Parts: sequence; structure tokens; C-alpha cells
Amino acid sequence: MARQAEPKWIFALQVASVCAIWVFVLGISAWIVHLLRLSHRLHDVPSASVGISIVAIPVFLTGASVLTYVFVGLQRGRQAAGKPILEPEEG
Amino acid sequence: MTEEARPESPDIPAAEFEDSDLLRPIVESGVGFRVTSSLLLLVLLTGWVIFGRQLLYGLGVTGLNQPVAWGFYIVNFVFFIGISHAGTLISAILRLSQAEWRRPITRMAEVITVVVLAIGAFHPVLDLGRPDRALNIFTAGRLQSPLLWDVSSISAYFMASTVYLYIPMIPDIAILRDRGVWPHWFYTFLAWGWEGTPRQHAVLERAVSILMVLVIPIAVSVHTVISYIFAMTLQPGWHSTIFGPYFVVGAIFSGIAALMMVMIVLRRVFHLERYLKQVHFDYLSRLLLIMSLLWFYFTFSEYLTAFFGNEPSEMRVFFYKVSGPYAPFFWAMVVTNFLIPVLILSFRRTRTIPGIFIASLSVVIGMWLERLNIVVPSLANPRLPLPTGYYIPGLVEWVMFAGGIATFILGFVIFARFFPLISVWEIEEGRRLSVAETTERLEGYLPDPLPSAPGQPVSEGG
Amino acid sequence: MTRWGMAIDLDRCTGCGACMAACHQENNLAAVGAEQAEKSRSFHWLRLLPEVSGSGSEVKVRYLPQPCFQCHNPPCVKVCPVHATYLSEEGIVGQIYSRCIGCRYCMAACPYNAKVFNWYEPEWPGELKQKVNPDVSTRPKGVVEKCTFCHQRILTAREEARAAGRELRDGDVTPACAESCPAQAIVFGDLDDPASRISRLARSPRAFRLYEDLGTEPKVYYLAEKE
Repeated sequence: MARQAEPKWIFALQVASVCAIWVFVLGISAWIVHLLRLSHRLHDVPSASVGISIVAIPVFLTGASVLTYVFVGLQRGRQAAGKPILEPEEG
Repeated sequence: MTEEARPESPDIPAAEFEDSDLLRPIVESGVGFRVTSSLLLLVLLTGWVIFGRQLLYGLGVTGLNQPVAWGFYIVNFVFFIGISHAGTLISAILRLSQAEWRRPITRMAEVITVVVLAIGAFHPVLDLGRPDRALNIFTAGRLQSPLLWDVSSISAYFMASTVYLYIPMIPDIAILRDRGVWPHWFYTFLAWGWEGTPRQHAVLERAVSILMVLVIPIAVSVHTVISYIFAMTLQPGWHSTIFGPYFVVGAIFSGIAALMMVMIVLRRVFHLERYLKQVHFDYLSRLLLIMSLLWFYFTFSEYLTAFFGNEPSEMRVFFYKVSGPYAPFFWAMVVTNFLIPVLILSFRRTRTIPGIFIASLSVVIGMWLERLNIVVPSLANPRLPLPTGYYIPGLVEWVMFAGGIATFILGFVIFARFFPLISVWEIEEGRRLSVAETTERLEGYLPDPLPSAPGQPVSEGG
Repeated sequence: MTRWGMAIDLDRCTGCGACMAACHQENNLAAVGAEQAEKSRSFHWLRLLPEVSGSGSEVKVRYLPQPCFQCHNPPCVKVCPVHATYLSEEGIVGQIYSRCIGCRYCMAACPYNAKVFNWYEPEWPGELKQKVNPDVSTRPKGVVEKCTFCHQRILTAREEARAAGRELRDGDVTPACAESCPAQAIVFGDLDDPASRISRLARSPRAFRLYEDLGTEPKVYYLAEKE
């Protein structure tokens, strides 16, 4: 059932999209850190800002990590491209 | 499920298979799609043209005024974000609780979330006096403002729910790719090299389990934080500790109603009667009934507390709603959110598909009225002896409301054009694996055999 | 440190409205016109709140001139998403017109409804256009604005004091409303200076503030005879 791998440019696009998600997520994290520093400078309520950052940043990072995990996992789980399958299957 | 236990999956099906009718709207899209989407685009375009007046002349073209500084835009913001809880939250809870009847429902629920969340999140921008400065939120945002809590919470929810929609869709995209559906490169790109190997299945399942656990607290946080916009001020009628859970309950309530409306409409349009059966509506309408009772309980607690306290400024807001200018909206809310759904859904005789549709529509209208009843009366009754405000929305606000609804439908039309509305592989998996799995699980619920019962062999598990 | 405050003697106030007019002129408030006022969009930084007591032939009306109270614990500042409204070191709640995004959250959060919004591009019909005060910036449409205790006058007075080589004294600064009041009902000054007239008035048994129970700690005191 080996299927032909997709064209190179599509694979490149896929890798680029995963990278773009990381850029997005790291951008959001950087933004939240920027706001944290801003709130420190403006003597805002520190607990609110720190609380939000502690919750928000890991959520975004988890989202991106799950996507990356799926992408890498799907690539490694393929049978095509002449790669040896790591776990031989039945049938 | 372990990798070895999974039999070779027929994820790349032949030209015709049992559920290939689910792909028909994509493969054979025709005039219907073009006509509907053009009509909806027309509505949307009209909305934007009329909205241009607001950009040009300022917020004066709306019906907003000095005590009532927030109106339809904020009401619709809260309303649409509430609807968005349909999706991801319900689908995640159903997946988490291994409710097998979820299979034809989850996809639609997740689409609602993503589409409506985008619409809802845009509403505060419509409401800005200076939309050109909206980016100030990013450069000069203050995390101590509840509006910033919203920005972070909604963007986290949008990301999580988009990922949660996409990842379980990968095998379906691969089916479309393998059938050579146009645009082929698009499906190849999105399929991420899915071939349906056991290892890929394991990766997908693990990712979905992480996401469904992640998404639930985010969804709860979103509506809690939206309620905080109001609850964090000192205004009568808003400054209430119950607001967080009250909003979450209302959001799930309106979400289930919207989900059932969408299901009933799409069932008719795409002939999905084989998949969306009476039993699905029956279970969901029980959920809706429970949420209706819960909503009534929260509303009752909220208003009784205000009434019994008898604080003058609270009482002004209270009577403005109960017997003042907002009485029609308030009592309509009670009727549509409580009386109609409870009466229809409690009896099996009225719990038919048309009955459920009426109940759901009633709840969606009622929850919109609830948001209106929360936002406007508190603003209209200032503490100081100012003239009480009355708010009559302007044309642009009505048009943008219609535009929001049109965008919602358009989102579904476009989604249905390119992706299956019911998860093909999950239906297939249910057929192939879940029957056995569920039987096994059910047996697991039964009490263990007596350890020393005579004549009974001791089971291997102990 | 200076902490600006105001005391308004209600027993002196005649409700003539000179303070409102002076405020409009001093601070370049737009003339919104009757049509907008009808829509409940009248535009004042300082307004007269009527207080009606008694009934029948014994009706008594008292007016309460209400500027922004410049709360020490301002609910509007806490909710602003972009730091467009802030509490200055001298206790004045400022508004940065060039940063405000017009979300009107501060208006919704203010328990005293002290802020106003530019629903349209502000206009000064006819000759009013030539009477715009050069010391005060005009505002664009779509932003929130509010009483600043005539901040421009404070700046000018401080410059003058510095030029004269002396400290800013009590009585150096008079906002337009206080200056115009024919009954001299409005007193302005430094609440932190125990010798100033304003801080003596603030401590007087006649002094009260509106909705003190909200914990906003307004810096505008009202003076009225005890019942």
C-alpha cells in the first residue's frame, strides 16, 4: 500500500507551516513577557500579570508542541519513501 | 488501544464505501454552493459598506450614548463567544467521557467553535472608537485590565480549538487527497503525510487526548474572563461573584442549542439522516434541558440576591429589567430560556426534531436577550441622578448583527465545501472497533465474579 | 508632594452654571448641539446634578456641580487596556488622547459617569472656532475625555513659580470653574499641605464625598450644612 510521497515543495510548505506556528507561539509568548515588563514599569497589579503569563504561555507552547508532535509522528510513522518501518506490522 | 491490537485499517478506501455519501458535497459541489455563498457574501458586503459610515463619521452613527456606552457590539461579542462553547467544550467532554454517540457530532461542534470564535473576537474591534489604534493593545497593553485577560484567553482558545478541529480531521483530509479531489495540492498539504499506519494512529490518538484535556479549562476560562469584564467593575448588576460560572453555564447552554440547530439544518441540507439520528438529538436535548434548569437556578440566585439586598442602586437596575423599560426583554428571556425549552423537551411527544429545533432556536434567542439584559440595564442606570439612558441600536448595529450571522453561515458553507461535516474515519472506527470495545468496557463495569464461588473459574485479571 | 483636590460649597452654589460654561471654554469642549444632546450625548467635563428634596409646595432643589472626582483609587484606570488613562503623581486622573482606543471600558467602569466620549469629530460652529484655547489640545473623534482639573493651568503656574524662583504656593492655581464661580463656592488646592485652605475644608465636619463606601476615595469634597 506504499503511496508516493508528496512533491518536495509541498513537504517544504508543511515544514514551513509548522515553523510558522512556532514563530506565532513564540511571538505571543514574547508579547506576554513584554506586557509583563510593561506592567512592572507602570506599577500595575503584579499578581494579575504574573498569573496570566504563567497560565497563557504554557498553553500556547503546549498547542504548538502537540502540532509538532503530530507532524513529526506522522512523518516517522509513514511506510513510504523506502524507509524501513520501525515497528513491523502484522498483515 | 495498543498499536498491535489495531487491525490494518482501510483508511484509503475504494471509490465507493459505506460512508462515501459524506464526501458528496465536496466532490459534487455545484450551483447551490455558489449561490448560497454569493448571497451571504452580499449580506456581508452590505454590512461592511454601511459600517464604512461608522469608520468615516465615528461611533455617533450607532445608537450608543453617554450612560449606555456599550450596546449591540458588546452584546453580540458575549453572545457569539458564548455560542462558541458549543463546540470544542462539548466535543471534548463527550470524547473524554467516551460517549460513543458523539462520533457524528464532534466535527460540527468544533467547526462552530472556530467560526463563531473568530466572529465574536472581532466584535470588540467593531466597537472601538479608534479601530486604527487597535494594535495599541499589543504595544501598550496592560495585563491588569480584564480586556487583556480576554485577548489572551480568547487567542489561546482560538488556537487550541483550531488545532483540535484540525488534528482529528487529518485522516479525512487524507481520504480526499487519495481520491484526487480538487484542489489536490491543498489536501496533500493538509494531510501531513497521513497513511493510516498504526503508528500514525497512535500519534493522532495521543495528540487528541492531550488536546481534549487542554481545551476544557481554556474554554471555561474564556467565558469566565468575559464575565469578568463586567464583574470587575463596581457597577450595580455587574459586580457579582456568581458572574463567572453564570456566564459559563449560559455559554454551554446557548452552545448546545446552536449545535442542535446547526445539526438539524445540515441534516436537512446534506441529507445526513442516516448519521444524525433521533437518538443523538434525544441525548443532546436532555443536556439542553439540564442546562436550562441550571440556567434558571443561576438566574434566580443572581436576581434574588440583588432583590433581597434592596440596595438602592441595585434596585434601580433590578426594576429597570423586571418592570421598567426592559421588562419585555427580561420576561421574554425567562420564557425563551426556561419555559419553552423545559415544556418542549420534558415530554417525549414534543421532543421531536421540529420540537427540538423550536426549543433550540428559542434558547439561542433567549441567550441573546440575556446578554442584552446584562449589558444595557446596568449602564442605563447610573448611580448619580443622571437621566436614565435608553438605547435604540442604529442601522449599522443591526446590519453588523446580520453580518455576524451571515459570516457564521458562510463559514459553514465554505467548510462543507472543502471538508466532510461528519468525521468519516471516526464513524468507520466506531463501526469497526467500538462495538467490541464498548461491549468489553460494559463488561468491565459489571461486578467481578465472587473470588471463591464454587464452579467458577478465577479470571486471569484477579 | 502635591495632591490636588477640590472642595465645592453647596450652601454657596446657586446653580448658575457659570462653571460649566467656563469649563467648556477653557478646555475646548466640543459644542455637540441640541440634536446630540437629545440623544443623551451632551458633552460636559463638569455638570450640574440636580438634587430634589421635599414634596408638594416644599420642594427644594439643590445643584451639585460634578467634575471628575480624580479618585485616589480610580476604577477607570484599573480597567484601561492600553494605559490611556492613568493616575498622575499629583493625583490627577489623566487621559492620553493619542493612545486611547475608544473602547469606553473606563466609561462603563466609572461609578460617577465622569467621562465623555467623542461620538463624532468635535466641532466648534461659527465664531467658536476662533476661540479655541491654544493651551489645551483638541481631541479627535472616537476617544474618551475627561476633566483634568485644568492641568494646563497647573503647568503654567508651576512654570511661573519656577521663573520667579519660588515654590508653588497655595492659591497659585485656580481651575476655570473655580475662577468663574460668582459665589466663590469652589476651592482648589493641595490636599497634602496641611495649612492650605482646601485641606482645612476637607477636614471640616461639613465635608463629605459621594459614594465613599465604594472605596474610590474621591479628591473632590462637597461642603454642606449638617442637617
